[in-house]
Amino acid sequence: MISRVAQNCFWLARYTERAETYARLLDVTATLALDGSLATDQWRPLVIVSGEEEPFTKSFGVEAMSDEEVVLRYLTWNADSPMSIYSSVRSARETMRTIRETGSLEMWETINDLWLWLCSRSAQRMYDEDRHRFYLHLRERGMLFEGVRHATMLHEEAYEFMQIGAALERVSQTARILDVKYHSLGPDTERETPVETAQWLAALRSCSAVEPFFKRAANELEARTVAGFLLFDPGFPRSIRHNLDRTALRLEAVRLSSSPKIGAASARAVQDMLVRLNALTIDEAIAEGMHELLTWVIDASAELCHTIEDDFFEWEANIAPAEASG
Amino acid sequence: MTDGIGRPRRGGDSVPLFEDYCPEPGTYDEFFSGRSESRPVARRLVALLDEMGRTAFRDRQKLAENTFLRGGITFSVYSDAKGGERIFPFDLIPRLVLPDEWARLESGLQQRVTAINMFLSDIYGDQRILDEGIIPRELIEGASGYLPQMRGIKPAGGVRVCIAGIDLIRDHDGEFCVLEDNVRTPSGVSYVLENRMVMKKVFPRIFGRAQVVPVEEYTGRLRRALASIAPIRDPAAQTAVLTPGAFNSAYFEHSFLARRMGAELVEGSDLFVDDDKVYVKTTRGPRAVHVIYRRIDDEFLDPAAFNPDSLLGVKGLVSAYAKGNVALANGIGNGVADDKAVYPYVPEMIRFYLSEEPRLQQVETYVCAREKDRAYVLENIDKLVVKAVNESGGYGMLIGPQATRRQCDEFREKIKASPRNYIAQPRVELSTCPAWTPRGVAPRRVDLRPYVVTGTDGSWVLPGGLTRVALVKGSYVVNSSQGGGSKDTWVLREAQR
Repeated sequence: MISRVAQNCFWLARYTERAETYARLLDVTATLALDGSLATDQWRPLVIVSGEEEPFTKSFGVEAMSDEEVVLRYLTWNADSPMSIYSSVRSARETMRTIRETGSLEMWETINDLWLWLCSRSAQRMYDEDRHRFYLHLRERGMLFEGVRHATMLHEEAYEFMQIGAALERVSQTARILDVKYHSLGPDTERETPVETAQWLAALRSCSAVEPFFKRAANELEARTVAGFLLFDPGFPRSIRHNLDRTALRLEAVRLSSSPKIGAASARAVQDMLVRLNALTIDEAIAEGMHELLTWVIDASAELCHTIEDDFFEWEANIAPAEASG
Repeated sequence: MTDGIGRPRRGGDSVPLFEDYCPEPGTYDEFFSGRSESRPVARRLVALLDEMGRTAFRDRQKLAENTFLRGGITFSVYSDAKGGERIFPFDLIPRLVLPDEWARLESGLQQRVTAINMFLSDIYGDQRILDEGIIPRELIEGASGYLPQMRGIKPAGGVRVCIAGIDLIRDHDGEFCVLEDNVRTPSGVSYVLENRMVMKKVFPRIFGRAQVVPVEEYTGRLRRALASIAPIRDPAAQTAVLTPGAFNSAYFEHSFLARRMGAELVEGSDLFVDDDKVYVKTTRGPRAVHVIYRRIDDEFLDPAAFNPDSLLGVKGLVSAYAKGNVALANGIGNGVADDKAVYPYVPEMIRFYLSEEPRLQQVETYVCAREKDRAYVLENIDKLVVKAVNESGGYGMLIGPQATRRQCDEFREKIKASPRNYIAQPRVELSTCPAWTPRGVAPRRVDLRPYVVTGTDGSWVLPGGLTRVALVKGSYVVNSSQGGGSKDTWVLREAQR
């Protein structure tokens, strides 16, 4: 398929995934913050791991990082922040518009409806009056889009690139959500307290992981089990391990029908990540420093995205026209 | 009055749609011959819409607009700082064409496009029509759309006008005549297909009864025509639609056509030329492209051949085209054929190449490059419509009868400064159709753009075409860029009682 279109497919899935993740994360955090006795600052870490600390403080000051209203408004509506839900939906819709011939009519209608709704007065009113329902609507639309995508478009290369985009977005978002909790709780994560329980439950909720988690680790809701689950569980659709596995698999599918040269660097990069991750146990990860590990996951997956860009989307920079063949 | 379940209707609901309808004096109204005298072609539709009433009609008009918005059937507005998109205003009252009227138009359009194709092959070949003095040589050589460097090049497939949009109007007697030809990159066909889709959703009952000739065949026809001009006889010949990009006002249409033809939608930067062959950059490396339906003007097509600053085009494309390795629809240099100063010679082309009499009328035209015509135009400018020969979209135009004296003087100066650039025509009283307005249904002027698709095996005309309507009262300008909207055009299967 056309490289530019493949790139747009990759990014479309990242944008929709990102919008859905933030809707979940903001909703869960707002609910958690209702419980005043937990008393830790829920909002500051959110701004930090979203990577928006600098532009945010420039506009609103450092103090505002703890102000629920300001942070929520920023991460939901700010048109200039690439992480806001508004920007993600806008980008998803604009990207979908340029690949309508590759996706399906239903995909377009789903994303366009969501965009028109987000721009409407009724969305604004719902945000003001019933925030939980507002985020719920966004989450449901995100899931609807994923289902529609799966059910209506051709499962071939374009689809694979969307799957890769979605998987890598999940790797980085799950890592960020875990990192938020480590920020919130500080280094001392040995002892289980009500605060910790609530925090780890919130982390799981942010990843729609509560029930899957309890199937694995019946009653042990603590840093070790939650982080272990979100990092290593091979079967949970938002765990880091699962999504790296998926990425490797999808990349192989894409490369299968092409020359072995194309995509070699990407395949190697994802294998390298998997090798390092699989060599670790959760205890080693905690001992070595969870924050460092998560930072590595975020950086390495960003690097992997660049490699995929170079391999599949920007190849003409690397391949001389002399190699062109009919 | 009751609505069938015994409950009396409230006053507002039952106002018949056409109750206060009053055609403009001196103008041909396509629905009514007098204040309440509907024409036979429209009688049944008028009765059905009257029965529906204004309130129900208004609801459906809203429903139609929402459908367009949801479907993203929009065009981008350049002037809007937010890079906004708008729906092309759509009027729900369809326009009606009788089967025998349509048959005449269809054959006239095929004849016209055939002659134009032959003219272009001649002009970029032997130039017999100039040698024999049928058309003045200086008129052609002075046309900005004439590209002398294309002379001697025989494009793959030999068809230069694959897609034509011929603008027709009906005069005060209801007679169809050609207003202008568009043989470069005519747009709007996606609205024909989408308008029809929306009509069926919004007016299922009325549509079902009307026996309308379907339009959905268009994209299949276009696909076949494009395949027929491919340089290789191979089912694997690759077709692409070349768009300037998502910010182009007609992007929706480019995407729509690619989708419906199952073709790739490409931008200039997706293509490259190597050894005079065109390739698209794919995730699996380069892949050959054989036919390009390009929606980019000549000037921007290839920075190596034309505008060197163009970022939209593909370097080397013209050379690949000249070698016959890639077919382009439409061909390069077609602008010479739809130049408004060449238009008055189309009947001569038909006689010259086909030895036939033209089957379509056209509007009397004064070519300012001709001295006698120029003198007449300068004298009578306040009675004429003056047009720049290369402008479209209703720009660069003076409507004498509606212009101020100063505007007339300005155009007189422009004509004197560059006579080759202007033509003038008497103002035709464009026919009207009823259209929905905030104050009920009122007559609004319309034109018609039928689309003619030509492959190596001949021309096919999309039944109907795009009816454009000037939604502003009294306006003669139907262009979407100037407040125009569109209507669905129904070519009826059977003559109406």
